Amino acid sequence: MFWNDRRSLELSRWCVRGFCLVLAAVDVGCYPLVKWYMSMNRQTMGQGLWDGLLMMGSIWLISVPAWAALYRLGQLLKNIAAGQVFTPENVRALRIISWCFVTAGALCFVSAFHYLPWGIFAAACGFMALLMRVVKNCFEQAVLMKDELDFTV
Amino acid sequence: MAIRVNLDMMMLRRHISAGELAERVGITPANLSILKNNKAKAVRFSTLDALCRALDCQPADLLEWVPEEQPED
Repeated sequence: MFWNDRRSLELSRWCVRGFCLVLAAVDVGCYPLVKWYMSMNRQTMGQGLWDGLLMMGSIWLISVPAWAALYRLGQLLKNIAAGQVFTPENVRALRIISWCFVTAGALCFVSAFHYLPWGIFAAACGFMALLMRVVKNCFEQAVLMKDELDFTV
Repeated sequence: MAIRVNLDMMMLRRHISAGELAERVGITPANLSILKNNKAKAVRFSTLDALCRALDCQPADLLEWVPEEQPED
């Protein structure tokens, strides 16, 4: 069959690399991006220097937990590719990713006081944090079960 | 662990080596070592059956409950 687990894993790894590229592009090209966005939304947001600076500051601040999450996601996929799936290290990586989403959500929430649409991102980040937390809980239980199974003779 | 596996003693009585026992029971020497060193968290009935058969003994000859000290409140 054309599609298999190994290829699926490889696709996930390429997706992570793709997101890294997009995030790097957003970080580097933040100024022209914000300038373009502000010109496109003259009715809904202010056009002053502070409005632009706040927008850029929000993007750069939020990109910090985003980089951390992508780094951990890459590590997680690397471990899975090596056959180490239910390990305490992966549980830790999932926990960190979940907290990255919480941090990003909190930053988006604060930014929403300046520009309301950030609230949508805050809600999305909160939901993702919840999902990651549930996955982390599943992995945590799986690690315990694997430990028990490994020592069953 | 409150359950102790007295495999060493039984092997000594029956004059059987670890490698031979592992082969007769059908488990890996690594798993037998886990059992012998009391690292096992569970023992399958099928393994216990094979052990009793190979060593010609009862499960009670292999397993012993040792009371553990309860932590004081």
